[in-house]
Amino acid sequence: MRFFWSTLSAIFVKDIVTELRSRQVLPTMIVLGMLIVWVLRMASEAILTSKAVMGPVALWISFLFSGLLVQERSFAAEQQHDCIYGLLLAPIDQGTIYLSKLLANTAMLCIFEIIIVPVVLVAFRLGPDTRWPALAGVLLLGNIGISSVGTLFSAVVRVSRARSSLLSVLVLVVLMPMMIPATFALLTVFGAVPETLQGTGALSFIGSFNAAVGYMIAFDAVFVVACWLLFGFAIKE
Amino acid sequence: MHLMNNNVIEIKSVSKAFDARRVLSEIDLCAGQGISLFVCGVNGAGKSTLLRIIAGLLQPDSGSMSICGYDLNRDPEKAKAQLGVILHGSMVYADLTVSENLSFFARLYGLGKSCARVRRLLDDVGLSSYTHDKAGVLSRGLLQRLAIARALLHKPSVLLADEPFTGLDCEASEHLADILRDFADRGGAMVMTTHDARMGLRCCDRVVILDNRRLIFDAETGSIDAEKFANDYLGYARSVK
Repeated sequence: MRFFWSTLSAIFVKDIVTELRSRQVLPTMIVLGMLIVWVLRMASEAILTSKAVMGPVALWISFLFSGLLVQERSFAAEQQHDCIYGLLLAPIDQGTIYLSKLLANTAMLCIFEIIIVPVVLVAFRLGPDTRWPALAGVLLLGNIGISSVGTLFSAVVRVSRARSSLLSVLVLVVLMPMMIPATFALLTVFGAVPETLQGTGALSFIGSFNAAVGYMIAFDAVFVVACWLLFGFAIKE
Repeated sequence: MHLMNNNVIEIKSVSKAFDARRVLSEIDLCAGQGISLFVCGVNGAGKSTLLRIIAGLLQPDSGSMSICGYDLNRDPEKAKAQLGVILHGSMVYADLTVSENLSFFARLYGLGKSCARVRRLLDDVGLSSYTHDKAGVLSRGLLQRLAIARALLHKPSVLLADEPFTGLDCEASEHLADILRDFADRGGAMVMTTHDARMGLRCCDRVVILDNRRLIFDAETGSIDAEKFANDYLGYARSVK
């Protein structure tokens, strides 16, 4: 068990250190996130939509697309100098590689969130009545969901020349079931919709904030475990 | 070690095809402790594929392999712990320093940060003056030395080296040959491929030739005419047959 934590932390720290030194992804993520927020801020003024609606939309869109950048880099970086073989030749369970990469991607998205959330709150004048713990919890659940799927598919497409487009198609399709409760939960946090909703739309199907959080937890649990189990097959040549 | 016989490396009836193209067919190969094996063959003969299969990076279509008695399919982690591998790529991270790279791999092999071992290895491969330099700024030759240090870090019982002399100058090649020879002298088993037949014969005890998907020649290096062999090993193998 000690060896598991030691290898997990070694790969995690290595990924974070190499990214902070090379600064290949984080600046691009921030610029893309700001651009998305700015465009939606302009659009919300033009169509007079509630800012409490557009804020969560801006957050999820920026997380999804910036998340793709960090996930693609996750295994593409290992292809340089055949570093991936160094990991595969080590006497460690391949699931450990997945879990450490998942943690590193989640940490990168958390750093991105710390920067982009205040920008969204200021741009859409949201905040005073926001439930901060609920906001942090929903973002973390969404973050884990995006990273769990993205990390697995990043390993699958790493040797493909069309890996960016393949990764986008695969990840966005698989994430669709989580994005409905995730959107509902954030709309509730910002007070754009009531905590319980009745009707026939996709959001009404979720029903309440607690149910939305429950769906997100279930999605994360299922996909983290499934992706961890499948990773050994995904990483094979 | 977990040996049923004296063979540290044991490959039985290994075959491999990529789509319709068969690369290896029914390969049998064994090597005991302290034996170094030079695998030679023309481009595309399947040398690198064979090494990747022994390393567990490629799955053969049929056959079995064991390292120090551990089956690569049933006990992959125990088998991998006995293996040191040098491939075409250096397998080191450009944004980490030389010592950070080795410390990282030391942790993957359960050696902790292993500072003393890292310092000793850097001395052995002549990289001690580059300890705090990022791997990304090293030349091809220096990167190869770092790759060798990474492969020997956990004191493996078996060393697999795929074209280890590529990109090295004469002095560095001589130094590497001494390191590889020293590894075998200390009881390590080695499988090496190189196009430099003279260097291969110098470093190894046994030579095998891979041609047309099969091993066609297997002899002690001391029993062959090194000059004739180096000039035309395929012709030499046919003449000896």
